Amino acid sequence: MGNFFSSMFDRLWGVNKELRILILGLDGAGKTTILYRLQIGEVVTTKPTIGFNVETLSYKNLKLNVWDLGGQTSIRPYWRCYYTDTAAVIFVVDSTDKDRMATASKELHVMLQEEELQDAALLVFANKQDQPGALSATEVSKELNLVELKDRSWSIVASSAIRGEGITEGLDWLIDVIKEEQLAA
Amino acid sequence: MAPLNKKIQKFLKDSIRVAPKISKKGELAELRNGLVSPYPQTRKDAIKKTIQQMTLGKDVSSLFPDVLKNIATNDVEQKKLVYLYVMNYAESHPELCILAVNTFVTDAQDPNPLIRCMSIRTMSMVRVDKILEYVEIPLRRTLQDDNPYVRKTAVICVAKLFQLNQELCIELGVLEDLVSALDDSNPMVVANATAALTEIHGVDPSVVSLPKLINSHVSQFLLALNECTEWARITILGALADYSAKDSLEAQDIIDRVSAHLQHVNPAVVLATIKVIIRNLPQIQQQNFKAISLKLSSALVSIMSTPPEMQYVALKNIRIILEKYPELLVKELRIFYVKFNDPLYVKLEKIDIMVRLVDATNLKQCNLLLTELKEYAMEFEPEFVSKSIQGITQLAIKYSGEKFVSKALDDLLELVDRTENLKDDCCIAMCDLLRHCPTNEKIASDICALLNSWAVPESSLISDAAKCNYIWLMGHYPEKFTDLEGKLDQMIENFVQEECMTQASILMTVVRLHTQLPGSTLQNVLEMATTSVNEIDIRDMAMIYWRCLSMPNSDTLVDQLCKSVAPIFENALDNFSTETLEKLLNELSTISSIYFRPQSVRAKRYVLRQNIVRGKRMDELKDMAKNEIAKNMNDDVLLDFGDDEPKTSSSGNVSSNLLDDLDDIFGFNSTGATTSSETKDMQSSTNKMNTSTTNTQDLLNLF
Repeated sequence: MGNFFSSMFDRLWGVNKELRILILGLDGAGKTTILYRLQIGEVVTTKPTIGFNVETLSYKNLKLNVWDLGGQTSIRPYWRCYYTDTAAVIFVVDSTDKDRMATASKELHVMLQEEELQDAALLVFANKQDQPGALSATEVSKELNLVELKDRSWSIVASSAIRGEGITEGLDWLIDVIKEEQLAA
Repeated sequence: MAPLNKKIQKFLKDSIRVAPKISKKGELAELRNGLVSPYPQTRKDAIKKTIQQMTLGKDVSSLFPDVLKNIATNDVEQKKLVYLYVMNYAESHPELCILAVNTFVTDAQDPNPLIRCMSIRTMSMVRVDKILEYVEIPLRRTLQDDNPYVRKTAVICVAKLFQLNQELCIELGVLEDLVSALDDSNPMVVANATAALTEIHGVDPSVVSLPKLINSHVSQFLLALNECTEWARITILGALADYSAKDSLEAQDIIDRVSAHLQHVNPAVVLATIKVIIRNLPQIQQQNFKAISLKLSSALVSIMSTPPEMQYVALKNIRIILEKYPELLVKELRIFYVKFNDPLYVKLEKIDIMVRLVDATNLKQCNLLLTELKEYAMEFEPEFVSKSIQGITQLAIKYSGEKFVSKALDDLLELVDRTENLKDDCCIAMCDLLRHCPTNEKIASDICALLNSWAVPESSLISDAAKCNYIWLMGHYPEKFTDLEGKLDQMIENFVQEECMTQASILMTVVRLHTQLPGSTLQNVLEMATTSVNEIDIRDMAMIYWRCLSMPNSDTLVDQLCKSVAPIFENALDNFSTETLEKLLNELSTISSIYFRPQSVRAKRYVLRQNIVRGKRMDELKDMAKNEIAKNMNDDVLLDFGDDEPKTSSSGNVSSNLLDDLDDIFGFNSTGATTSSETKDMQSSTNKMNTSTTNTQDLLNLF
């Protein structure tokens, strides 16, 4: 019977339901490292993701289904397969890779055009802040033309997945936004 | 009260379940929603339903991207289902398969060996080239796995990879790993590595030197043999059968080590063991031969007590073995007696084996068999009856005593007397007997008396061979037939409709008896044979006879032609040539042993070629487009080159399609010229083209 009641509580709080979050970005931005930083709190050695990783994690009483999709040019076209029912998108940018900022910006804006993502919140990680020569969050924001975004809750956070800086702050913001939206809905 | 308890539990579970359920209808839209549902429970249900639809034969390939999303899971059951789906539909979505690569690679490192094994197995089963690009790391890792279950799977995957992409397989160097797997401590791995190597050797013998490997690993095989499953045993025994022992001691050793498996329940194991023993038998010392052949014969007897399908295979193999070692089963004739409930195909084989098996020096045994065969000839299945009658003849000729032959003949006469429709078979059988002892007057007159009594032979005999024999008999014993002319005339009437054996026989008989028959008969037959017969041999034969008959002293010549005596019929059983026999013995328990045709002889060697699915790449499309443009341009240019530059035109023909080649041609046109002159050249060539087209127009106007 104890099980029964705990299940009832789960039902009340909606724990059974998973929230879908996508981690996107160009290849080598640090998406997989961020995912596992969130999941196990450690830095794992990664190889280029051909395909995707998905992990389920509990964060502040929410069950998050976090998808890390590969960023290679060949895989980017398939991102769209994963857009349905997405609560939020985490876009990871390599702050040291100034040459490809334009590409990243283009990919980001094309993605946000998609109808299925109109209600999704956007969190941008200006990653690799531990590296010398990394652009600051403001600079990255400028490069990505984030100010142009209308009708969307978005935020940019400077982070270093290796050191574990900025990740939780970013996620906290994201969860708050999602909760608010759910209450509103 | 357990069931009630369960019911309550189920009710409670259902009542608290939030995750929406999937209905039983299995509509694609519903399944698609279920597969991406935020509730894990619903997703799993949806996957189950999808697989259910798949096994029912419905096309659920459009769900591929959504099913693929569920591949990364910790639930083994769900993973297995998704893998099953991916295996089935990967070819319909080659591009999307790439999304599964990461999971494959991660799963190949999973702590659970079942998942490691599943991942590598699925990966090698997905016939998509993009997946194969990433197979290296997981394959290498699983080949070195700690768990033998994973290793034995990985070893097979090498063979699969080889079939899909030979170059890649060689480049990765996994074949070396495969070879070293032969030294593995686990017998299953050894067996699977052997199977994989055999497969690869079958596709391309130049890649691995299988015979050498087998030579160096015989001891490992013999060790692994006792510890592995029956199917692995068959593989290992198959490899051992390819090994030729160095001396009699080693041969003896191998036979001793494998002969325990002669008692195995699985007939395939028994047959594989027999094959190994047969292979080593020639090298064995004489004093041990008897003991081994005893073991062999009891093993052969044991596989005769299997279901009929296997019995058939066993019989076919026994037939081959018997030809090499006829004395092997001589005492076991009884087990081949036909049982009433044997299927026809087994019955026919059994008769064949019995006649071959019987000891021709043992009158008692021959008599026994004769009675047995006579019994069979009174059954009702026509094929079985004719095979028995044929068997009687074969037996009589094999024993060869005149007394025995007349006994067989008496039996045949009795049979014909009893049943009407045996005339065909008996006619052939009796003529065979007569050809075996042509000098025996009694037999000849008995047979002729019988055949003479048949009123309308051409309606009572149906088969070509029987008619042929009947007419042959008339030609040889004309004095024993009454109304010979009338009977022959009946046959001649249908001459054109008869099959060629009968036609030839009529032709010969008529020529042979031309002095006794009216001249018009001969003329008639020769004319028909030369004008209205399709068979070229018959026409030629008739021509030759006609020419001989029209020569000046034709009588002696024709006499010489006709009086030649056919050789005595010594052996009614057909045998393999020594070469074929040796080959067949090496291919026992394979499909060759059923067809009696060694693999090298079979015209089409069946080679497993898996086709691999490629996603169309951008550059491929570009190439295609380029080719098309180039081709069109080439057509134009060829028109021009045709009239004044034959050398260039030929080179233009050879180097067909690519733009680059075309550039070369233009370059060739303007040897040593600058770019500007090149463009000039282009212009001039177009001018020339114009002129040439006007030329053709003029030509056309001429007509």
